[in-house]
Amino acid sequence: MTLDRPPVRHRKPAAPELPGPAAVLLRLRAPAAAVLVLAGALLPWASVVLPGGAYPDLATLQFFDAPHLVTGFRLHLVLLGLAAALLPRARKPAAIGVIAIALVHMAFLTGLGALSIGGPVTLAAGALLLWAARAEPPRPRMELKTPPPAVAWLVLLVAFAALLWLVSATLTAGGQSRATNPYGGAEFLAFLGFGLAVAGVLSAYGVLAWISAMSERHRIFSIAVLLGCALMLPFTQAGTGYWMTVASSIGVYAATAIGLNIVVGLAGLLDLGYVAFLGIGAFTAANLAHAVPFPVAALAGAVTAGVFGVVVGSPTLRVRGDYLAIVTLAFGEIFFRAAQNDIGGLTGGANSIPGIPPINVLGLAFNEPVGGLPGGSRYYMISVLMVAGAMAVLANLRRSRTGRAWLAIREDEDVARAMGVRTGRAKIVAFLVGATLAGLAGAVFAHKLGTVGYESFDFSESVTLLAAVVLGGMGTVPGAVVGASLLFVLPEKLREFSDYRLMLFGLALILIMRFRPQGLVSSS
Amino acid sequence: MTLIAENVSMAFGGLVALDDVTLTVPDRAIIGLIGPNGAGKTTLFNCLTGLYAPTSGRVLLDGRPLEADPAEAARHGVARTFQNIRLFSGMSALENVLVGRHTRIKQGLMSALFHGPAFRRSEAEAVERARAELAFVGLDPAGDTPARSLSYGDQRRLEIARALAGDPAVLMLDEPTAGMNGSETTAIRTLIGAIRDRGITVVVIEHDTKFIFSLCDHVHVLVRGRMLVSGPPEAVRTDPRVIEAYLGTTECSK
Repeated sequence: MTLDRPPVRHRKPAAPELPGPAAVLLRLRAPAAAVLVLAGALLPWASVVLPGGAYPDLATLQFFDAPHLVTGFRLHLVLLGLAAALLPRARKPAAIGVIAIALVHMAFLTGLGALSIGGPVTLAAGALLLWAARAEPPRPRMELKTPPPAVAWLVLLVAFAALLWLVSATLTAGGQSRATNPYGGAEFLAFLGFGLAVAGVLSAYGVLAWISAMSERHRIFSIAVLLGCALMLPFTQAGTGYWMTVASSIGVYAATAIGLNIVVGLAGLLDLGYVAFLGIGAFTAANLAHAVPFPVAALAGAVTAGVFGVVVGSPTLRVRGDYLAIVTLAFGEIFFRAAQNDIGGLTGGANSIPGIPPINVLGLAFNEPVGGLPGGSRYYMISVLMVAGAMAVLANLRRSRTGRAWLAIREDEDVARAMGVRTGRAKIVAFLVGATLAGLAGAVFAHKLGTVGYESFDFSESVTLLAAVVLGGMGTVPGAVVGASLLFVLPEKLREFSDYRLMLFGLALILIMRFRPQGLVSSS
Repeated sequence: MTLIAENVSMAFGGLVALDDVTLTVPDRAIIGLIGPNGAGKTTLFNCLTGLYAPTSGRVLLDGRPLEADPAEAARHGVARTFQNIRLFSGMSALENVLVGRHTRIKQGLMSALFHGPAFRRSEAEAVERARAELAFVGLDPAGDTPARSLSYGDQRRLEIARALAGDPAVLMLDEPTAGMNGSETTAIRTLIGAIRDRGITVVVIEHDTKFIFSLCDHVHVLVRGRMLVSGPPEAVRTDPRVIEAYLGTTECSK
């Protein structure tokens, strides 16, 4: 007798066999849709010439002047169309990607009053493809064999290099600002749709599982390669001062999100005021910046935040669940208001603390360009190392007595006690470790920005951090990094949509939670 | 190690769940606890494992009073399973057993952060022991299945393995065969015998009187919060008060 059977998905029974021509038509849906995608990609999308951008001529009727130049989203559509034609398992993800690309461009071009036939044709093709893919019987999961080490290393190298390229391409997709590319936001979103479709195709053919199995087997090697790839980012097309600044901010928030992942993801303690720990670390480092070298200031920031972590953690001995969330919410608000009112002259209040010197190691200021690398590269490097360290903390604790105790508390606190877990102590340790990581990130944050003001630590930041953890996958090691990257890149990339930015952001969150509730990186 | 409940009473507001109950759990025996629904069996379990603080009376473990804290009871060797299975359902079977071993694993926070040689040794020992417990109860020693996807019977076994991993002196099983068929019940009976043979005292709550009478060295009958009868199975089975409690009386028999 089994209690928890996986829920059976009730599919509609297969359509009854239709006679003759109708059956042939149904069978031809997928190939027809693939051809239609290819056609849509090559049709004109805009009815007037649009200025600037990565594909100015191709976005208009002038396309027919230079049909051999298939670049940008057209290239993505052609690739997805070919995948749908040749690879049966790729149809569903390809369809979703095609629909996303078509919708984004149509919405944007409609907004400009310049929509032409390419968009509607492609959207129809995508819908047809999705219909065809859904009608197919479910296929067994593909499993690929793990190759010998030499091959595995090569595959891992290629995979991580591809990941580096993808990160760099995603960061730079659509350019830097509205001034250089008026439809950068649309380009970025369309690229994201393409990226998701490619990930879906790879997952359908078991490639992602294969790579993750290999990296699990060759842990040390893959960690080294991954770290190396991350440090190579300044050498790619993303290696400009602007993108380095964006990437190092992401690093700061990713390290903070990893800390929050310990508290929320592992120990299951909902913390709604978590950004306060980032703030405590930042203000501590800011106050010490002129007096002591950076490593000491960073340590002080981490320790101070850790102490406050214990202070906030202590009520958790008495309150659980919703009530704990309210207590942490109150703590976050107390910190915010205290910082706003310059309590003890420590936060500068509305003036914030300006003039924090850049990190200076061995006479080298971190904000200046070095060699061929833009300024900010070294802040990026330091934030990569910090994120790597935080990931190691999370991974190591997760597979220890302490981490198992946290998971047990998350699953069933009473039973954890009955198994001898001193739950109060374990919960305080979770807050201590999480807050320490956030405090360390705060110190880097302060030096990188040069100014720390209370506005950086309001409630919405806590919520975004929490969303990053949930979105990425609670309790997983890469989850918080993926989530933080997405949540802090999206607002940056969606500036073109100004007023609609937050709405799109919320919509993306809802879609992900609907279709992948376990988070982008799932633990099982 | 002996566990003693001394004149324990437990009241929830006006409801008296236990009324002056005295129970001695001797070393290396199988003790049965039976009684009709609502007799207070699980309440007594909760008092003995530190989940409840008795309203009056006390619980003694080797002569020392037991704190009303389940974590302390577990540290002192009182382990238990639950009437409605309560596993850490999102964790793997092996991780569940490793949590059961929590109190016996020595790892500091620093060593857990850096995974040094001492840490890896203690972790390897713990995993080996956990796998042994999984095999002991008849589960796959690999234990990588999530607890929630095990079958009902295997979930009951996993609960027992988790409790055994903490080196208990007394193992308290709350209805270990509830919802099981005949052959599964027989397998559990064999398992309980094997646990006793390891030198662990087992206290069992059951409704299946045949199961209890054939397995236990001592049987206690709890009725409406009072200890009605205690003694060896043969004596308890034929005791008229027990028969009355279970079957009721008729006008004819008076």
